[in-house]
Amino acid sequence: MAKVLEGPGMGLLRKWGISTPNYVVVTSSDEFDQLSQVNDWLQKGKLVVKAHEALGSRFKLGLVKVGLDLEAAKVAVREMLGKKLETVTIRQVIVSEAVDHKEEYYAAAKSTRDGVDLLVATCGGIEVESNWDKVKHLSIETGETLSDSAISSLVKDAGFSGDTAAKMAEFLKKLYTCFDNEDAQYVEVNPVVLSGQGELVALDAVTLLDGDAKFRHKDWTFPFAAEFGRAYTKNEEEVMAVDAKVKGSVKLIEIPGGNIAMLPAGGGASVYYSDAVVARGGKLANYAEYSGDPPDWAVEVLTEKVCSLPNIKHIIVGGAIANFTDVKKTFGGIINAFRKAKAEGKLQGVKIWVRRGGPNELQGLAAMRALQDEGFDIQVFDRKTPLTDIVDMAMATK
Amino acid sequence: MSILATKDTHVVIQGGLAGVNAARRMAEFRYMIKQPLNVSAFVYPPDAGKTNEIICGTELVMIPIYKTVAEATANHPEINTSLVYIGADRAYAGTMEALNDSHIQTVSMITEGVPEKDAKLLGKHARKLGKTFNGPSSIGVVSAGECRLGVIGGAFDNLVACKLYRPGSFGVVTKSGGLSNEIIWICSQFADGITTAIGIGGDAYPGTDYVSYLEMFENDPQTKAVVIVGEMGGDLEERAAEWYGAKKRRIKLLAVVSGFCQESLPKGMKFGHAGAKEGLKGEGSARAKSEALKKAGAIVPDTFGALGPAIKATHEELLKTGQVKPIPDLAPADVPKLPKTVQESMKDKEVLVTPLIKSTISDDRGDEPLYQGYPASELINNGYDIPHIIGLLWDNRLVSKQEAEIIKRIIMLSADHGPCVSGALTTIIAACAGIGLSQAVAAGMIMIGPRFGGAVTDAGRWFKYAIDNKLSVDDFLVYMKKNVGPVPGIGHRVKSLKNPDKRVKELVGYVKSLNMATPHLDFALEVEKITAVKKDNLILNVDGTMAAVLVDIGFPVDSLNGFFILSRTIGMIGHWTDQKRQGSRLIRLFDYLVNYASPKRREVPPLK
Repeated sequence: MAKVLEGPGMGLLRKWGISTPNYVVVTSSDEFDQLSQVNDWLQKGKLVVKAHEALGSRFKLGLVKVGLDLEAAKVAVREMLGKKLETVTIRQVIVSEAVDHKEEYYAAAKSTRDGVDLLVATCGGIEVESNWDKVKHLSIETGETLSDSAISSLVKDAGFSGDTAAKMAEFLKKLYTCFDNEDAQYVEVNPVVLSGQGELVALDAVTLLDGDAKFRHKDWTFPFAAEFGRAYTKNEEEVMAVDAKVKGSVKLIEIPGGNIAMLPAGGGASVYYSDAVVARGGKLANYAEYSGDPPDWAVEVLTEKVCSLPNIKHIIVGGAIANFTDVKKTFGGIINAFRKAKAEGKLQGVKIWVRRGGPNELQGLAAMRALQDEGFDIQVFDRKTPLTDIVDMAMATK
Repeated sequence: MSILATKDTHVVIQGGLAGVNAARRMAEFRYMIKQPLNVSAFVYPPDAGKTNEIICGTELVMIPIYKTVAEATANHPEINTSLVYIGADRAYAGTMEALNDSHIQTVSMITEGVPEKDAKLLGKHARKLGKTFNGPSSIGVVSAGECRLGVIGGAFDNLVACKLYRPGSFGVVTKSGGLSNEIIWICSQFADGITTAIGIGGDAYPGTDYVSYLEMFENDPQTKAVVIVGEMGGDLEERAAEWYGAKKRRIKLLAVVSGFCQESLPKGMKFGHAGAKEGLKGEGSARAKSEALKKAGAIVPDTFGALGPAIKATHEELLKTGQVKPIPDLAPADVPKLPKTVQESMKDKEVLVTPLIKSTISDDRGDEPLYQGYPASELINNGYDIPHIIGLLWDNRLVSKQEAEIIKRIIMLSADHGPCVSGALTTIIAACAGIGLSQAVAAGMIMIGPRFGGAVTDAGRWFKYAIDNKLSVDDFLVYMKKNVGPVPGIGHRVKSLKNPDKRVKELVGYVKSLNMATPHLDFALEVEKITAVKKDNLILNVDGTMAAVLVDIGFPVDSLNGFFILSRTIGMIGHWTDQKRQGSRLIRLFDYLVNYASPKRREVPPLK
């Protein structure tokens, strides 16, 4: 899944005929000043200024300002840009037109195993959280088309009537068309508002697209945002850049505050390793994973990043018995990075734990074991040691 | 017995290199169980009409490649299964093609990164047709002793270690490819091994889920228990729990679910497979799944590590109740082995091969070439030069500094002789005709022979003959006249006593200035004294001088022409690049340079 920020998310809604407020995404005060000179709506209406970053709880962080005139908006833009939070610096701000409205509704589409669920409710905004039972849904099976009658009854069932019901039916049809054509996995418009002009407008959108479908969407020129309420770190971005280039995959997520560094192989096994650490009361310093027989240099880059995590006590080089990932080759990359890190004075007092099987396991494990002679604090185990026992052993050391 | 992949499975592989690689792995498996390869065809439009070579034990089997699945199944009607190794952007179309083919009942997709929508459409289409669509992102399917689809199970040694050559009693279904292999191993060590192991792939919406396969396992009498390895996210494990709890089942179910770490991670942080995402309302968590499975009666160890003992306990119970019988381990001699390649056998000192050729000069098997055992880089770093390499490769010895200097001067003096001589002219004509460097230089090289540059060896041979047989100059000239003809190395087309060859003078002067014995050169110069009196241009030429000097410093006669060929190559390459640089065009001889001496135009007589 790939999260899309509000700006490009709104752009996709507009592309499929859904009304959104006017908005601009700016990266500097100067840019905003210039835009304000050419856009009437910026000069006349009330404005909303929001940090345009992958952050949760923007309201609480004071990164959403509403009801501003242009001058106040300029001040807000200036204050917000460059502001540093724990892990991110605000680099973009979205300024949108406030839309006068009385009613707030809720509309969403989400991918399910059998197709797509359309959700709609007459209560929107934060109201919907406490009125989840009012949200009505319609399942559209994979490969089926959305029928007008089904959508009318959904809207009626949710409590819409008259003119608004017809408008909401139309809105949901567009939302579904957008969802289906854009390979979306989740689109939530909350709130949908009925403007003074009697038009349904999408005020905010949460959009998750299917990153795997990027090859058939040439207009997805926007970057995907991190899904976990913070921006990607430099190390994460560098590993992602490598991942995009190579056969197989390398992945990294940093978790501040932890002291157990993870360097396991395999999308499945890596989570069992994380579980084992947590089950033993350990604190993860990161999540990492390499799989699909990636080139040794890609694993080397990943290892360098893992070795540079602050305050780590253990590195868990775990892995199941690989089907086709060459253990000797991938371990070669890990060993290179270990040596480099050691030469740079890292890894002092760090214990390394290895467990692995797969093609060329004997040579790969022997090469790891040989690191003991170079002064590494490393313990190496083969397939006969159960998968996560190295975590138990690591956690048992003082 | 087994499910999905059986002894009756016949496969078409859709895709290129990755598919060929899978076929090789599948062939290894079939070799292990002493069965012929069950891959009947490939579908890969770019190579349609060709064949892929697959090693099956000690044989090479040619498997045809077709443009379409329909062509493949028309030619090989036994095909009932397709493996999809097509890139994510084309995988949908390729898989549809396979599903819509009436011969094909099962399609397993290995391709990763397939859009979710495509996977859902394919899954639905397959269900509508009553077929099985496994994947995407599946590592494959393996049924012990019967059939392997894809690379699941890994290398041959691992197949044997996991006793995949004969069926056990445990079914395995996992999302993760690496863990499928791990569980296969665990089942072989803690119990009697597997019947069938299936990777369903870690995507959010796999085409076939645990329930479909649990149902199949329930109907397979050989399978007594099934191990599933689950992940947080989605509801596949809950559905499996629901199925298992719905009524009394014959099979035992063991399960583990990953993702407990999620509970203590920073909010919103998720990782693992694409499908490993908790629902927006917390449904699909590892805990919820584990609870559901436990409640349904499945054996759910707390950790992955506890799975081995749980599998062991289950197996022991099956033994106790007589549902399974102990399977004796194979005697070491009966454990299947992959035939070794010649290289492997030689490494293990098991075979003796009579070499085809013998080389006494160099060895390239290390990280750099060895010339007569000396690493090239060390020669460079110790101040040795090109003439020393010539000495090592042409005469198996390190020449002295003085000898090296002589060789260097010979090369410098004969590197080129202008554009008009046979070799250079031929190279230039070839260059103007647009011929490439190596062919154009080779054309010039062909000119080197008895009349042009190629007399060095012969000159050396006869001067040496004279010295070895202690002939006088007169006796030598008589012998040559009677038995050989003109003396090689004597005579020049344009140079003469009055117009001496500066190169000869230079070389002779230098060599004579050194403190060394030069019997052959001295002899050659004596010969010249006699021949030049007879005719002004019968002087010792550059070939003859080189020959005499090189024999004096001990080079074997057969190597002597090499000195001219080597030096003149420098010139010919120069002439070719010179013409290329100028963009020279095709040239031909002018009519006035030809004496047309053929008969004048005349009537053609009637054909008889």
